[in-house]
Amino acid sequence: MTSPLRESRDHDEAGIAEFASESIVILDESGKVRSWNPAAERIFGWPALALRGTRIADISPSPADERRAWAHLLQEGSWHGRISRYTRDGGIVCAEVRRHLRYDGTGMHCDVIEFAYPTRDSGETQYAAGPVPDRTTAASWQIDVSPAAEIIAQIAARAGSVPEDELRDIYSRLVERALIVEVNERTARLVGGNRGPALLAGQSVAAFWPVGSRGILAELVLEALRGREGKVCRRQLASDGILRDPLVTVWRAGRAHSGRLFIAVNGAADDDRSYLFLRASEARYRKLIDYMPVALWQVDASHMGKIYAQLRADGVVDFERYLEEHPELVELAAATVNVTDVNRRAIELVGGAGVQDLIRPVGYLFAANPAALRRVMIGRFTGRKNYSELMKLQTLDNRVLDVRFSVTYPEPLLELDTTIFSLEDVTEQLRMETQLRQLQADFSHAARVSMLGELASSIAHEVNQPLAAIVTNAETSLRWLGRDKPDIGKVEQLTARIVASARRADEIVQRVRGMAVKQAPAPVELAFNEIIQESLLFVRHEIETRSVRVRTSYARGLPPVIGDRIQLQQVVVNMLINAIQAVEGCDEALQEIALSTGTDEKGDLLFMLGDRGPGIAPDHIARIFDGFFTTKTHGMGIGLAICQSIVTAHGGELSASNRPGGGAQFRVILPRAGRFAAADQIAGRPACAEGI
Amino acid sequence: MPELPTVAIVDDDEAVREALGDLLMVSGLTCHTFAGAASFLTACTEFHFDCLITDIRMPGMTGIELIERLHVEGAGLPVIVLSSVLDEQARAHALSLGARAWFTKPVSDERLLGAIATAIDGGRGGGQ
Repeated sequence: MTSPLRESRDHDEAGIAEFASESIVILDESGKVRSWNPAAERIFGWPALALRGTRIADISPSPADERRAWAHLLQEGSWHGRISRYTRDGGIVCAEVRRHLRYDGTGMHCDVIEFAYPTRDSGETQYAAGPVPDRTTAASWQIDVSPAAEIIAQIAARAGSVPEDELRDIYSRLVERALIVEVNERTARLVGGNRGPALLAGQSVAAFWPVGSRGILAELVLEALRGREGKVCRRQLASDGILRDPLVTVWRAGRAHSGRLFIAVNGAADDDRSYLFLRASEARYRKLIDYMPVALWQVDASHMGKIYAQLRADGVVDFERYLEEHPELVELAAATVNVTDVNRRAIELVGGAGVQDLIRPVGYLFAANPAALRRVMIGRFTGRKNYSELMKLQTLDNRVLDVRFSVTYPEPLLELDTTIFSLEDVTEQLRMETQLRQLQADFSHAARVSMLGELASSIAHEVNQPLAAIVTNAETSLRWLGRDKPDIGKVEQLTARIVASARRADEIVQRVRGMAVKQAPAPVELAFNEIIQESLLFVRHEIETRSVRVRTSYARGLPPVIGDRIQLQQVVVNMLINAIQAVEGCDEALQEIALSTGTDEKGDLLFMLGDRGPGIAPDHIARIFDGFFTTKTHGMGIGLAICQSIVTAHGGELSASNRPGGGAQFRVILPRAGRFAAADQIAGRPACAEGI
Repeated sequence: MPELPTVAIVDDDEAVREALGDLLMVSGLTCHTFAGAASFLTACTEFHFDCLITDIRMPGMTGIELIERLHVEGAGLPVIVLSSVLDEQARAHALSLGARAWFTKPVSDERLLGAIATAIDGGRGGGQ
């Protein structure tokens, strides 16, 4: 991914020197090491990070020779000869050396470059051709044990008297306290996952040192601290899955850095493909990932994996409940699962200034939605390969985005325990969907109002009937009351009728108002047979006055559907009006509408509405659901189009055909409740939390 | 002593029928109510009616069809229309066929009773 994660690989001498078979060392004018190439590491045993800043004369068994050579160099501008040099292991290596003084732009000498190859005692050179293979380079560390000073003092005070298991515990605390000062590339590659060396600095040694050999490391540290400066302590370890038979060497840094130690680990990696080949392929891969238009986070949740394994071993099955009871585990994940790498798009998405803003515990991704992290954890615990949900993301510059968050969990058997998050900004998409849904709601409302317009005279008539009865009953009551001997019994009866008629008028008004009012759809579980019965009330008067016969066949035990009552009524009423108009003017025998409910082969709800009218003209059948298609002189042509969009929003299908015996037939399929999460679509909310 | 005048009421709405029946009763008229034109026509063969009050929009035979039928038969029965329908054409048609009055629901008791009285007396009742 992005280069700042790794130390920038400058294309300077040091970079070129990496591939040399000769030792190439750059010294400053006072003779201190500035740069130390891998071949120098191989020949003299010292890792670069241990020698940087050290005077080269300090590792010479004959400082007087060094002084002479140096003086000659400064005078002549170059020097060549044979030198001997201490190796890290305390041995001495003889080498054929050339040194050249280099000058800067102003003509002042700025540094010294030294080329060297070892010679045997016999004088014959040992020349290993080719670059130093990565597998033979030591994984080197500089660590700081001063934060563990108290533990070290405690061990020293109780020397020999600490029981073994307590000692093991103390050792592991020592390694936990010890901090990484610096590591080389090889160390970062071997134990840092995908972190570059810079990201390991400042972290606990224990976070990267294999558990099995922490005790040995602690022993070596103590041994090195006890010994004289320059004493080298080493131990052969058992293969740990990272390196075969690694040899660990520990020695103290100079007096200027008390509490600092160097560690070099030599051993062949299990994968001994050439490092250069790997690096080239990795560079291609990183570039590809870095420029991907999807925001990616690489996350190291390996320690959580261990916690989950432990919980499973302890018999935890219902992890969801476990997390409810232990919210601190979610907090732990938020605070300790580290982002190890991100790509460019990720930085853009969260509005960070650079990679470093994003390389920290994952908590910031879930600040606006802590429950999402819980679900991500549950997904891993339950062994899913991936998980995805829509969530809100609070960006670093305080915007709130709608994002589709997806996580790919590590495969248990793969070596690297890396989790990948990908985030896709869907804010704009959701905004458009909301607008579209609003538009659809507006259209269906417009269609409902237009539909009520078609029913207006029916409705007026329906409301007028009880009103007429009320007026007449009230006037009759007054007449009874106006008599010399008012008939209270009669008045009571009439008043009761007034109340009944007023209720009836009220019901009609409510029903119409439900259809006329513009309100947000409210999805609930519904019995479709009831929807049909309620819809028939709307057109009852039309049906009666036109003497249309309605045959209904309601299936029992139908599955409930999830939907908006008014919208589904609108669909049925609209289809009923069409059918009534279709049979109008037909022979009385054909003035018939048949309604039936049932289930289809998948167990979903099926509603059929057929008439015995003239049917749908063959060239119209493909267009009847198009907006503004109508065969009526006064129709707008949005009724069926809206019906179809309503049914589709409910996850269903609306289709039309001609009946074999004549007449049109409409077929509505609505998914049974539970099969389709239509609720959110109908209500205009984004659907949530489905797996991918 | 002359019999009390008998009025027939044809309306598919039960509440309206009952209300009209009670009003006529308290006003000293006898009345029979029918839920549809067909049952009224059947009763006509057996009973004598002095006046007919009918709705227009009804399932089966409509009020207009009933008036046409009575007109063709030359029954001479005075007819008063009481309807929710605001159809000027239908109103003109009904009046041309001899309907005595056309009231839109709801109608005041005085106007309705006045129209009935006029119709029974054989005088000419006006429109609404």
